[in-house]
Amino acid sequence: MKEKLHEQISALVDNELAETEQVLLSRRLAEDASLRSRLSRYQLISDSLQNHLPRKINPDFNIGVQLALQDEPAVQARSARLARLFKPVAGLAVAASVAVVAVLSLQSVRQEIPSVSPALATAPVVDELAPVDVAPLLANTSSNVSGDAQNLDIYLVNHNEFAVNRGMQGILPYVRLVGHDMNVDDKE
Amino acid sequence: MKWLLPALLVVTGQSLAQENARQWLDGMSNALQSLNYDGTFVYLHDGKLESMRIVHQASEQGEQERLVSLTGSPREVLRDNKAVTCIMADSKSVTVGQSRPRPPFPVVPDDLDRLSRYYRLQELGEDRIAGHMTRVITITPKDRFRYGYRFWIDTGNYMLLKSDLTDVDGVAIEQVMFTRLDVSDQLSAVALQPSLTGDGYNWTRQGDGSLNTAARQGSPGWIVKRLPVGFQMTDFQRKRMRRGGVSAEHMVFSDGLATLSVYIEKVKSEAEAFLGLSSMGAMNAFGAVVDGYQVTVVGEVPPATVQMVAASVQQAASDS
Repeated sequence: MKEKLHEQISALVDNELAETEQVLLSRRLAEDASLRSRLSRYQLISDSLQNHLPRKINPDFNIGVQLALQDEPAVQARSARLARLFKPVAGLAVAASVAVVAVLSLQSVRQEIPSVSPALATAPVVDELAPVDVAPLLANTSSNVSGDAQNLDIYLVNHNEFAVNRGMQGILPYVRLVGHDMNVDDKE
Repeated sequence: MKWLLPALLVVTGQSLAQENARQWLDGMSNALQSLNYDGTFVYLHDGKLESMRIVHQASEQGEQERLVSLTGSPREVLRDNKAVTCIMADSKSVTVGQSRPRPPFPVVPDDLDRLSRYYRLQELGEDRIAGHMTRVITITPKDRFRYGYRFWIDTGNYMLLKSDLTDVDGVAIEQVMFTRLDVSDQLSAVALQPSLTGDGYNWTRQGDGSLNTAARQGSPGWIVKRLPVGFQMTDFQRKRMRRGGVSAEHMVFSDGLATLSVYIEKVKSEAEAFLGLSSMGAMNAFGAVVDGYQVTVVGEVPPATVQMVAASVQQAASDS
């Protein structure tokens, strides 16, 4: 569970996260300081790997990041996304929806000069996300299926993309995914 | 030679009728992809009736779609030109896959001759749906290995108002019908936003192998010995189905209308393997284990078809 969130944060830093996922992830980020902390560290690591940081960096993470951002134009551009994201969060009074908007705007604000907020300070990582039970999508819809039907969900979503291209019903292949209510099936 | 002229006229008449039906289908495909609409429809399957909302927007950035269940537990599918996100409250899962680009008018096969070999296209006159006049077009399969369709197409804007998926006898297996439909120039941005957060859900992201050009190279290490007549391989990819997972082979077969996928992936353990038939409306899947590999056939084709195809998959090397 946490690993997947971390992967998403990593993808966000690399600008590889789909917009729909950005919306969902931003809600998690708005609520979870440890995830925000992780995002800032990933951003720093990414910048470091790409040699975007100055040679000397203050061991005090927070101040160091701010100095780096102030001194390095390349980082300014790259970190605009972060700054835009954290500014409302640091204020604590702004609704999570603002952060959602901020994440959605990430693609378009890269060239702006950021003002870095104290929210970039690292916070202790808290393992607060408990694993959840996953009921496979098809578990109750079939007569004689066995085994790991969770994998089947991935196949179905993947296949739908090919069927959408060739079939005549647009998004309607997805109607099946949405239209099969496990609870209704359970009651039968 | 007296029979030749009437025969020619009959053939020409049939061709014209088929071409006419195809033009309606072309218009419908175009409308489904290019119009902005926000509608509510019912989905009837297996004796159950579900209500859903669909929001679709087309812009220069591509299409955006949102599909939401209005009955039962909350489920939602969001699709844009980058990703497909399925959020299911009942299974507490979020599945994210990559979307594939759609050409502008891809949907109805161009090759009418090929299509006519396996299906019969017909115009069945007019009917009223939700207060709109529609033209009814049917596509009937010529054998039992594929499904047919009936479409009710708005005579004004070509929007699809009702759709039946039928078996070879014309009996509806699934029905979709709009009960409300607003077509407008511009939809509100909120209408396309997800209402489910995905908080606390299990997230599954599909791997990105399909973006890798190298993944498209090569030929399958597996062969499918039995396919319904007319099905040809249209895509082959070797890709990771999930992050950190092993590489899977994915073959796509189509007769120009129906599509079925064959997935082959090293199975972690026999206990985890997916075996047997699974159905979701008209979507059928059949799983088998062959030489330590999970073989899964998925398609909008009858159960007998996925079963037949799955049973015929074997390693290319063992084909002698």
